[in-house]
Amino acid sequence: MHFDLASGVGLHVIPTQQFKMTHVLITFTTPQTRDNATARNLLANLLETSTHRYPTQTALARQLANLYGAYVGMGVGRVGSLHTVRLRASFVNDQIAGTNLFDQVVDLINEILFHPLIDDNEFDGPTFRIQAHNLEQTITALYDDKQFYANRQLMNLYYPDDSIMRVPSFGQVADLTKLTAQNLVKVYQDMIEHDRVDIFVLGDVDPTTVKEALGQLPFTPRQVGTMRPFYQQALYPTIQRQVEHQPVVQAKLNLGYQLPVYYQDDNYYAGLVFNGLFGGTPYSKLFTNVREKASLAYYATSRLLPFTGFLGIQTGIQAGDAKWVEDLIAQQLEELCAGKFSAGQLAEVQDSLVNQYRASHDLANNLLGRELLRALLNLPPETAVTEKINAVTAADVSRVAKMVKMQAIYLLSGEK
Amino acid sequence: MDRQTYQEFNRTIYRQRLANGLLVQLLPMPGFQKTYATFSTDFGSIDNHFIPYHEQEPVRVPDGVAHFLEHKMFEKADHDAFDLFGKLGADSNAYTSFTQTSYLFSTTSHLHENLDVLLDFVQDPYFTTQTVQKEQGIIGQEIKMYDDDADWRLYLGLIGNLYPHDPMRIDIAGTVESISKITPEILMQSYRTFYQPENMNLFIVGNLDPDETLAWIEQNQNAKTFLPAETPRRLFELNDPTAHDVIPFRSLTMNIARPKVMVGLRGIKKFADGRERLRYKLAVDLLLDVLFDDTSDNYLRLYNNEILDDSFGYSFEMQRGFHFAYFSSNTDQMERFADEIVAILESADKQIDAARTRFNGIKRAELGRLIGLLDSPEAIANRYAGRLFDGANLMDEIQTLNSINLEDLYQVAKEFITPQGISVYQVVPQHQ
Repeated sequence: MHFDLASGVGLHVIPTQQFKMTHVLITFTTPQTRDNATARNLLANLLETSTHRYPTQTALARQLANLYGAYVGMGVGRVGSLHTVRLRASFVNDQIAGTNLFDQVVDLINEILFHPLIDDNEFDGPTFRIQAHNLEQTITALYDDKQFYANRQLMNLYYPDDSIMRVPSFGQVADLTKLTAQNLVKVYQDMIEHDRVDIFVLGDVDPTTVKEALGQLPFTPRQVGTMRPFYQQALYPTIQRQVEHQPVVQAKLNLGYQLPVYYQDDNYYAGLVFNGLFGGTPYSKLFTNVREKASLAYYATSRLLPFTGFLGIQTGIQAGDAKWVEDLIAQQLEELCAGKFSAGQLAEVQDSLVNQYRASHDLANNLLGRELLRALLNLPPETAVTEKINAVTAADVSRVAKMVKMQAIYLLSGEK
Repeated sequence: MDRQTYQEFNRTIYRQRLANGLLVQLLPMPGFQKTYATFSTDFGSIDNHFIPYHEQEPVRVPDGVAHFLEHKMFEKADHDAFDLFGKLGADSNAYTSFTQTSYLFSTTSHLHENLDVLLDFVQDPYFTTQTVQKEQGIIGQEIKMYDDDADWRLYLGLIGNLYPHDPMRIDIAGTVESISKITPEILMQSYRTFYQPENMNLFIVGNLDPDETLAWIEQNQNAKTFLPAETPRRLFELNDPTAHDVIPFRSLTMNIARPKVMVGLRGIKKFADGRERLRYKLAVDLLLDVLFDDTSDNYLRLYNNEILDDSFGYSFEMQRGFHFAYFSSNTDQMERFADEIVAILESADKQIDAARTRFNGIKRAELGRLIGLLDSPEAIANRYAGRLFDGANLMDEIQTLNSINLEDLYQVAKEFITPQGISVYQVVPQHQ
């Protein structure tokens, strides 16, 4: 059920008796730029830490504990080239709690979003310093995960220097020095006044009551244009290659391809099935031939980013096998282009995708994520997904496979 | 079929022990599309010393056998069970812990056929020299992947401090060297000893009809013959049950940017039965919240002094034969972090005194978290720990938690926090 709370502020209510918990998602959406990701992540951290009524994170945490351990947290994410700040809340439903938790949680959301710890046009100094420092440390620590690091390095190789996509949704350490307790207030005001806002409520709730409660949030009308999440970039004339040496036990070989298949376009379902056959499922060619038959890797997977036109492969291997693995991967792709896969494999992947789709209805966060995409892209409700997956033919898969263009190869190796 | 209804959560669980000893539990979740099934044996990485089925002499098997067996169960002479699930539209997987191995699938169709595949592949062992050799390569890569994982090294390093002469100190997957000694014979010996129906349980949650599902399972089991049951004879004994063998401190240098530290606390209490164990576990969970959760003054003070940051976490692990708690953070003040954690643990009584007003909120928050898990078929089945807690399920857990009071925490703190059980492990960046 859809309501407009104000111009540019949508409310989507999904009543269901399936869950014991109620879930709320509020997203603030704007195109990503070179500068805004880091600032908006720091802002999200500050907002979830304290408010005027709850001036320390302890005061806020105690209030949450009293609300049956309600979770209310903020973070950032991306849909293609759109940057989102997200507030998520989940809490025991009123029937089980035996009290009106919903109104109390909305009241707390109101505090967090509209009464941040800002005085005289600046965020509280000590809170700002600690959160800025913590964010720096958190981002630094992310790169200690070698799989994560290797993936980021591949993205840096794939995206040209001037691409906004080079900056990850969570930001980068170098940008933190530009942020102050004063200039972040402007970032806050921009977001709260000008971003497109979507609010989703899922659970055993009454839409009219929900609308009344959330209508209390003082959102003002705003002008929001059409949101264009789809990202494109030109092909490189030659493959970008990088080999990096670090003292690691397991080498990481990551490959990046351009694959211009986008969310809900004509090739979308064929793209999903192609990716499932290539490396996106345990029935894929990569899993079967690189891991199981050749015993070369513990993981060898592919994933399709349907807002970015990007297809990536990640593997964990022995450094000495890198050339062999690269050739083997190329061979799998050629076979997909040539239609060399059985009807059985195709059906297995389709069944797996159908099962994933059906099972996703049991996960509140998946339902909310899908509703968000639908709202942002202004799409009608998804229908006949199962049929669309099953309608993909072997010829469709080969056609999509032929659209794949190798762009970047990154190797993190422990051997010199 | 035995049934138990939990009115407050609108859930009913059905139980039946089959003629062959297998325990079956079924928990329907109306409105869900998915069915999630786990088939588990009480056999994990620490069970490396035992008297094999129908033999007299004890054996010690190489480290990593339980996990290796888990990988190899899927492969058969002419097919892979994984593919059978795939053909039936199901996702399947398996995992091994210190004390348990579980095989599982999740499906939105063909429940009957998928159940047959699950029961059949786990009850039909097939190991050859050639397939064992191939798996040594894959698992070798898995072990190496974890070698580069600083958080895993921190955790395993701490367990090595807490149990320096016990099998928990070794990675669940074993080592590249130990798995090279695994043979089809060793796998079969462990299989016969620990994969008897009487040592296993089947837990199915989600979209299901209990009567129909039980009938399918019985039909499957009645068509098979099983060797006579023989309770597994494990020879696991802690090297020093009083924990005086704990190594107080070690550190490791790795190629990372942020230092990591973990403080561990090994418990030495012995339990009369599983329900007592569960009550103790839940009371310790609450105690740790009182001392360290984000509603505590301790947390705010340490956070504001940058002794810990958002990566801070703590947990209590109760397993068959041992239990411990750990506290970890990324921090530039590793010594200070350890000192502060230990000081808070040692002044637990005073901290409980000071928590009178907070306690209701803490308990309610813990209840809320467990109630949240009721929405997840996976969480309900994976959390089930069988004999460890005398068959308690998530709903029993919530009821037990409800009955714990602030006064209970004094006793638990006294029993759990002993000076010899404390240890510290660090993972330090290379350049420091």
